[in-house]
Amino acid sequence: MIASYDWAGGTEAMLCFGPDTGPVVVAALPLFEEANRVRALTVAVLRSLAARGIAGALPDVPGQGESPIATDAMTCEMLRGGFAAACASLGERPIHVLSIRSGALVECEAQVQSRWRLAPQNGPDLLRDMDRVRRASELGGSRPDPLDHAGNHLSPAFVDGLQHADGSADGPVRNLWTNSAKPGAVIEGPALWRRSEPDNDPAFAARIADDISQWIATCAA
Amino acid sequence: MVPEGKPEIETTVRATLRDVLGLSAERVDAFEPGTPLFGALPELDSMAVAGLLTELEDRLGILIEDDDIDGETLETFGSLTRFASAKALQ
Repeated sequence: MIASYDWAGGTEAMLCFGPDTGPVVVAALPLFEEANRVRALTVAVLRSLAARGIAGALPDVPGQGESPIATDAMTCEMLRGGFAAACASLGERPIHVLSIRSGALVECEAQVQSRWRLAPQNGPDLLRDMDRVRRASELGGSRPDPLDHAGNHLSPAFVDGLQHADGSADGPVRNLWTNSAKPGAVIEGPALWRRSEPDNDPAFAARIADDISQWIATCAA
Repeated sequence: MVPEGKPEIETTVRATLRDVLGLSAERVDAFEPGTPLFGALPELDSMAVAGLLTELEDRLGILIEDDDIDGETLETFGSLTRFASAKALQ
């Protein structure tokens, strides 16, 4: 179902899955291009959770997805305030966040029962990745606009905010085996956020849903 | 030529190309030192270059400075593997 939620700056869309009662898993997609690459995976996880009787929600945050807010008007405060408002709009239900990559930078101000993070990325690492895209495009002979960050026009204030942005530190973290030097348990699956074309992996989505449903059962115990 | 004694680095570079670019194992297994990459593989766009470098850093435990990278580094499978081996040996 496509629902919506209100935040201080307007209204945004939110996909909702599963029952109207009980715990809700609210997903925070990574920012920018990685959101496109893991959107199908995230929806597959939420559908898989819904099949187990656990509700899910995937809000658009201000400045991303189908949001009416322009990307160059986006700030860290808007993103975080929007996500927090999306969670608050779900009422008095236990809310658990699933964040992927830089989604951890978006969900950190929401009032929720717990957080489960997949391969979290902090602001400086996100900016470094985007700077690399710019340099790689220069290798290809193009001369990018200085305000262009991997195809996104971002305000200097937002970029400055990302330079100091770190995600929340509580709750379980899962990394892929390829990043096993980083803290957190390992979950087997492909780094779909790196793929040049969006892809999905239903078996990976099912493993994520298993892990999250077990975590929620632990929280409820 | 890939430096002798570092087949694991070549294996990691191959696996990283497969995973980041979403290529089939058969296609990546057929890569030879002279196989052209940047400008020849449509999957290796500028977004994918950034992802490839970051994944190589994570998997090989190396740090790649942006000034280290030029068009020749990514020109062929052999040049990329030589670059990764040199970084891993530092």
